[in-house]
This record gives sequence, C-alpha cells and structure tokens, in this order.
Amino acid sequence: MKKITVVLALAALLAFAGQAFAHTPLVSCFDNGDNTITCEGGFSDGSSAAGVKMYVKDGNGKTILKGAMSEDSEYEFNKPAGAYMVIFDAGEGHQIEVNGADIVE
Amino acid sequence: MSSSNEARKDNLLVGLAGQQNAGKSTTFNMLTGANQHIANYPGVTVDKKTGFYRYKDVRVETVDLPGTYSLTSFSLEERVARDFLLTEQPDVIVNVLDSSSLKRSLYFTLQVLEMDFPIAVALNMMDVAKRNGTHVDVEKLSHRLGVDVIPTVGRRGKGKNELRDAIIATANRKEHNVLRVTYEELEPEVAALEEELGKTKMQGKYPLRWMAVKLIEGDSEAQRIVREELGENSAAQTKANEIRDKFEEDHYMDVADFMLGCRDRLATDIVESCVTEEKEGRDTITDMIDNIVLNRFAAPFFLVATVFVIYQLAIVQGYELTNYWWPYLAKVRSFIADLLPAAGLLEDPYVRSMGLWMVDSANGLLNYIPIFVILFSLIAILEDSGYMARIAFILDKLFHSFGLHGQSTLPYILGGVFAGGCAVPGVMATKGIPDERSRMATILTVPYMNCLAKIPFYTLLINVFFVEYKSWAMLFLSTFTIFAALLISKLLTSTVLKTMETAPFVMELPKYHPPTLFGVGQRAVERTWQYIKKVGSIVVAVSVCVFTLLQFPGLPAEKMAEFEGRMDQALVTFQTKIKKSSYAGQFGDVQSVVNLLNLYHDYKNDKMSIRGKEASLALNDKYKAEYPGMYMFLKPGADKDAKVVNRALRKLSSSRKSLRREMKEVRISNSFLGMVGRSLEPVTQWAGFNWKINVAIMSSFAARESSVATIGVLYQQGADENKSLEERVGSESGEGGFTPLHALAVMIFFALYPPCLATTIMIKVQTGSYKWMTFSILFPTALGFLAASVVYTGGSAANLSGIQMMGIFYGFTVLLTIALGLFNSWRKDPEPLPDFSGRVTE
Repeated sequence: MKKITVVLALAALLAFAGQAFAHTPLVSCFDNGDNTITCEGGFSDGSSAAGVKMYVKDGNGKTILKGAMSEDSEYEFNKPAGAYMVIFDAGEGHQIEVNGADIVE
Repeated sequence: MSSSNEARKDNLLVGLAGQQNAGKSTTFNMLTGANQHIANYPGVTVDKKTGFYRYKDVRVETVDLPGTYSLTSFSLEERVARDFLLTEQPDVIVNVLDSSSLKRSLYFTLQVLEMDFPIAVALNMMDVAKRNGTHVDVEKLSHRLGVDVIPTVGRRGKGKNELRDAIIATANRKEHNVLRVTYEELEPEVAALEEELGKTKMQGKYPLRWMAVKLIEGDSEAQRIVREELGENSAAQTKANEIRDKFEEDHYMDVADFMLGCRDRLATDIVESCVTEEKEGRDTITDMIDNIVLNRFAAPFFLVATVFVIYQLAIVQGYELTNYWWPYLAKVRSFIADLLPAAGLLEDPYVRSMGLWMVDSANGLLNYIPIFVILFSLIAILEDSGYMARIAFILDKLFHSFGLHGQSTLPYILGGVFAGGCAVPGVMATKGIPDERSRMATILTVPYMNCLAKIPFYTLLINVFFVEYKSWAMLFLSTFTIFAALLISKLLTSTVLKTMETAPFVMELPKYHPPTLFGVGQRAVERTWQYIKKVGSIVVAVSVCVFTLLQFPGLPAEKMAEFEGRMDQALVTFQTKIKKSSYAGQFGDVQSVVNLLNLYHDYKNDKMSIRGKEASLALNDKYKAEYPGMYMFLKPGADKDAKVVNRALRKLSSSRKSLRREMKEVRISNSFLGMVGRSLEPVTQWAGFNWKINVAIMSSFAARESSVATIGVLYQQGADENKSLEERVGSESGEGGFTPLHALAVMIFFALYPPCLATTIMIKVQTGSYKWMTFSILFPTALGFLAASVVYTGGSAANLSGIQMMGIFYGFTVLLTIALGLFNSWRKDPEPLPDFSGRVTE
C-alpha cells in the first residue's frame, strides 16, 4: 500500500512537472518576514503548477527539504539558517533555481 | 533602347518569376531593398510580396511571384503565379534564371514566353556558374530568346542597375520578336485552334497561342477559363478535345508528354548553343557534396543529423529563450489588466474575465515566438542552400505511398516523432511543402505526434497501470503515433483530400549555394510577423467562443451561496485577526479589503516576471513609491502592527485563491461544455469513459490548466467506490474500477485527440480556413473515440488484459501500415518526367 502510494505520488509529480515542457515555467519566492518563505509557481499559458516538485538545498548542495506545489500552486517552508537554494523542478532540463540570497525581505 | 513617339511609361508593374532556388527572392531584395509589403494572394494562403523602387523617374511596383517549375495546374503556387499574369497584366515579367542550371530554368522561361508578356531575363548566380566552369554566352542567349538578358549575382547586388534599365527598355519596346516553341506535328492544330479562339471574345483578353497549347494539353485551369468565357461545350473546347484524341490515337503518346518533350528539346538546343563547360570531368562542388549527402548508406545519417540539429536549436534552445521572452508578455498582460475593471472579491466583472482570458490565450501562442524565429531561420537556410530539395528526394518514395511529401519530414520531427515536440511549430513548418494535397495531409496529421504536454500524462497512467510492462508501454506510445499518422494520411488523401491538386515529384536537385544573411533573416522575420498578425485576429474569435462555452450558464445559485458563505467566513476571520492591529480601522469595509487583496495579487504577479535580487529590490521600491499607504502590508518589515495585517492578508489571499479555483472547476462542470460531456456519456461508455472523464477531456482541450482535473478525475475513481489502490492495481478487470484496459483506451484517445487549442489555431493559420480547423478538431476526436471504443469494448468482450490488448492493437496498426506501404510500391509507377538533374553536356 505504502509502496503503491509512493509510485502514484512520483507519477503524479512527474506528470504535473512534465506539463511544463509545453510552455514556460515561472516561479517567484517571497520572504514573509516571519521566518517563512512562500514560493508561487505557474506557467506562461496560465496552467496550474500544482504538483511540481520543490526542493530546498543548503549551502553545501544537500537537499534539506522536499515538497510539491499545492493545488493553488504555492509552496511554503521555514526559512533555513544560512545559505540556501530553492529548486522548482518542472522536468528534466527545465528547472528554475532561486538563490536564497535573492529572496529579499 | 528603341525610339518611340509614345510618352514613356512612368509607372510600371513588374512580375518577378522563376523556379525555386534560382535566387528570385534575392533578386527581389536587390531590386526593391527594404521597401516591401506582404499580403496574401486573393483566396489562397500563398504570400504575395510587393516592393517598390524609383529609378530614372520611373516608379516600379515589383511583385515577387511564387517560385514554380512550370505554369500548369499542378500546385497552388503555379496557379497563383499564372493567375497573377493573366489578371494583372504586368508591364514586364522578369524571369530569374539560375545560370548554373540553365536548362532547368529555361523550361519555365519557355512557358512564360508563350504567354506573350514582355520579358526581361535576369541570368542570376553567375558567380556559381563561373566557379563551376560553366560559361554562358549572354549575347547569344539574348538573341535566341529574343529578349534582354542581364547577368546578375543577386547576393552581391551585381547587375542591379543593368536589370533596372532592361526593365524600362522592355516595358517601352513596341515590338517583341521572342522565341516561339514549335510543337512539330501538332503545330498546324495549334495554329488552327488559335485561329478558332481568335473569333471569340477571348481575343485581346488572353494570350491565345498559349491558351490553345494549354487546351490541347488538357490543362484543367485553361479548360475552366474557356468554360467561363465561352460556356460549356464551346467550339474551341470541342476542337481541342478532338485534336488531343486524334493525336493520341495516331501516336500512342499522351499529348502533354509530347509537348513537354518539344520544350525539352528546345531547351536542350539553346543550352548547347549558348553554354560551354570547362574543366570537363572534374566534379563540381555540388557533385562532391552530393556524393556524400545522397550516398545510399550515408544519406539517412546525414538527414537524421540535420534534423536533430534543427530540433535541438529550435525546440530545445528556443524554449530556453522563452524564459527571457516571457517577462515581456507578462508586462503586456499587467498593462492590460490595469486598464480593465478591477477584480471583485470572488468573481471578476465579465469584461475583465473575458479580456484576461483573451490575453492569456494570445500570450500562450506568442510565447512561441523565439522558437519560430529560430525555426524559420533554419528552414530558410535549408531552402536557400538547396538541401531541402534533397530531403524531399531522399524520403519522397517512402512518404509518397501514404499521400505525403518528402518535406513532410521536418514538420513531423518538430511535432515530436520520438522525443517530445510541439505541434504548433510542426504545423507552421508545413508552409514549404509544394504539393497542396501532401501539405494538407501533413497539417492534419502532425498533431498526432507526441507533443511534450502529452508525455507526462502517458507516464502517469503507465506508472499506475502498466508498471510491469513500462518499457513496452512507452515504446507503444512513442511509435504508435507514427503509424497512426501514416495510416490517417493515407485515409485522408484517399477521401476528403482526394480532389486536391497534387503534383508529380520532379527529380530536380538544385546546385548548392550559400544562403544570404539578409535573405534568411528577412524570411524568418516575415514568417514570424505573419504568425503574430494572425494570432491577433484568430485568438479573438476562438477565445470568445471557448470562453462562452466554459462560463455559461455559470454556477448554480445554491453553489454560489455556499462559496460566498465560505468567503464571508474567511473575511470574518481576517477582521478578527487584525482587530488588535492599529491599522484595523483602515479595513472596516469590504471594498478596502478587496483593494488590498488585489494589490497583493498584482505585486505577486509582477514578482513572477522578474528574477534576481536587484530586480526584486527595484520592484519593492516601485510599489513603495506608488502605494506608500499600503506598502507596509505587503512588506511589514519591523512594523509589528503591519505584520499582523500581513499575516492575516496572506491567509485571506490563500482562501480566496482556493475558492476561486473550486468555483472554476464547478463552473466548467456546469458549463455548456460540461453539459455536452454529460450528454455524450451514453456514447462514450463504449470507450470506458464516464461523464467525469468527458468533462475533463473537453476542458483540458479548451483550458489547459484543467488538465489537472483530468488526473484528479482518474484518481477519484477508486476513492469514490471505496476500493483500495492495491485492489485496483492488482485487478485487471475490476468491476466498476478503472482498469488497465480503461487506461489504454484513454491513452489511445489522447494520442489521437487534438493536443491543444493552440494547435488548431495554427491549423487555421496554415489552411486559411475555419472549416479545416473545425475538421481538425472533430475528425481526430471521433477517430480517437472510435479507436478507444474498439479497444475497450473489444478487449472487454474478449476478456483481454490491458497489455494484451495493447499488443494486439499495436500489431494490427503496424501490419496495416506496412501492407499499405508495400501495396503502393507494387502498383505500376507512372512514367517519370524527364530528369533535368544531369549535367549540361557540350
């Protein structure tokens, strides 16, 4: 049961992410000023980014958070201490990276 | 220049005519510079390029006619070129010849001469001829043709003024003693028919000798003209039929072939008397390249490499460029959004909804512009270099069996033969296919290719329902669409496209020559601009229709009341949370809250269009300056009271967004489109589709963001019926559940279903017809449904599993394709036209 759920989740993520290829992926991140970061995603033709994989990596490139865009194309996480990078994974060859240093309060 | 008592003409209409690859467009650019205008010829989608220049007090309007091999009725371009000559009666025809392939070019010249127009010849590409050791005696050629012959090198502007002088001289010449083709045994009959036509009202209106020749040849357009002018069963038509029947009875030869032979012999004779070849025995550059490019074993690899490069540059790199291009489109959207009425709390004013929908639809299409600029540049390079003709040469035999053309290759590759592609540039790339029927077949079948947006959907279903056979399933989907496209092309060209003009493949390979930067760049810009203009007009029409279908009748009253109740609750929560803030007084009424929400929304939207820290800070400064009294709620900083409002605002904004999304889903479900989906259920059940899938399919076509709903619907299947995932996956024929057979039917349906609204809009652009656009939606949908039904119902009846049915269906498709391909090659081929590709001999 758990294994199948994982497969379904991965398949869903892949499917959603793949939607990106037919149009331009978009993402922006905000520092909410309360130790949380909110990222919002979308695509150039108005398509939803729901399900797109999200990763947060620390300054050493290690993945410290994994998640996905919500049905409303948003992803919120606690701001990591130190340097970090947010990756919007819209499919192979079409990732968007947002440097934590660029996410201004 | 001969003296004349008549006043010299000071306004001239010039038609520029010649075979493809002779350098006609380059010559056009040389004559007119950048002073050009593009439209369509009346009633067709062939571009009409008009340019102007002034020379020695004469204003000259120059029309660049489509490149054609002849002036028969075989192709759309040929008819357009000839109709222009007949209806516009230009003062001068400038016939551009490729001096490095003179015999091939002369074939066209002889036909133009026959139409009795004043002609000047631009003997172009003299540099290529010289390099190949070909020497043309210009004076002798001029004498034999009876017209001015001006050597030119269009790419370098050589011969420009001489050609302009010749145009003026030709226009003012009173008598033209031009070469006449003699049709040997048929000459008396041609003269007699010409005399017969001279007694009718066609005298003075049409070149009668040319008309006589065409009627005897059986040319369909000439016959149409005579029917229109003289009625059915005219004496001239009857006489022409008698002449043709008698000749063919006496000589056992088709009249058209005989006349073609006469022209061919004359062209050969002219070349032999005017052209000398030096360095006999040494390969020209073209031959050296072709030894590799057309080598039986090397050709496929070279072709694949070329196509791969085009794919990588246009699709892969083009998409990279859209990352930089998109922000500009987003700015346009923001600008327009500011002009429209402000957004409401839960619903927007109709004008705003419709307006933004149209902008989003247009932006979705305009986002492809970087891809098109690259694509059209590469295609222009292929065309100008001469390799495009070789692509057609290599693949035409295979494609011809299915009603396609060698040049169908590129559109298919771009559409996604193996790797994911996109049907929009694929359809756009069909523009260069000279055979109208093949072009239509290609346009209507490119959408079957595996576009990038289809692949993840397949992947999802395969990973859920065909895990154990993943490789086979992916192979099935990757290759099934190729066979489907070939079969459907065969079907279409045997039925609805049967009456379209087709043309025998002419085995003429032009010399290689370097493309010019100006020629390539200009064509890329032209074609992209055509795309932009057409998007502007078509999107308006289509968006309004689709928007209406999706929006009305709208939400049921009780549903709307429910959503409003939830929104009211969210507002109450917001008010409660900000009560302790010193700013609470600013948001006592709903409108001020709406204004704040809209400002927050606009800010986040603008943020989506920029990247990097500096841009973010600049954006913040901009909002701070424009909205000093509200900025603190977007970016509270150290202001604790503002922070309270900000936190509550984010929650409220989230609630609003969720509610709007849910409302949209319900609205679509209740829309006219949704009603159609429900009403189709009695039919679609044969494919295993229920109303939910129907609605998801229809809405995912019209509004791509609803494709998520398609997957959501599929996920709901098991949950609705309290079946565990384990049970569903483990069961191949679960009652009521979504089985692998269902999944297969859905995948086959989506393979054949139109990939997106943008593709059908592009089909409208290329065919110039809403009729074909409609056909390109209805036919694939019906076909997809039929195939899905056969698979699902047939599979169910035979108690087959999904993977078994996949194998059977695939095998049937492949075998049918092979059988049809082989069948056509067994049939006797018609006699090929004379081969002009041989080298000119001394």
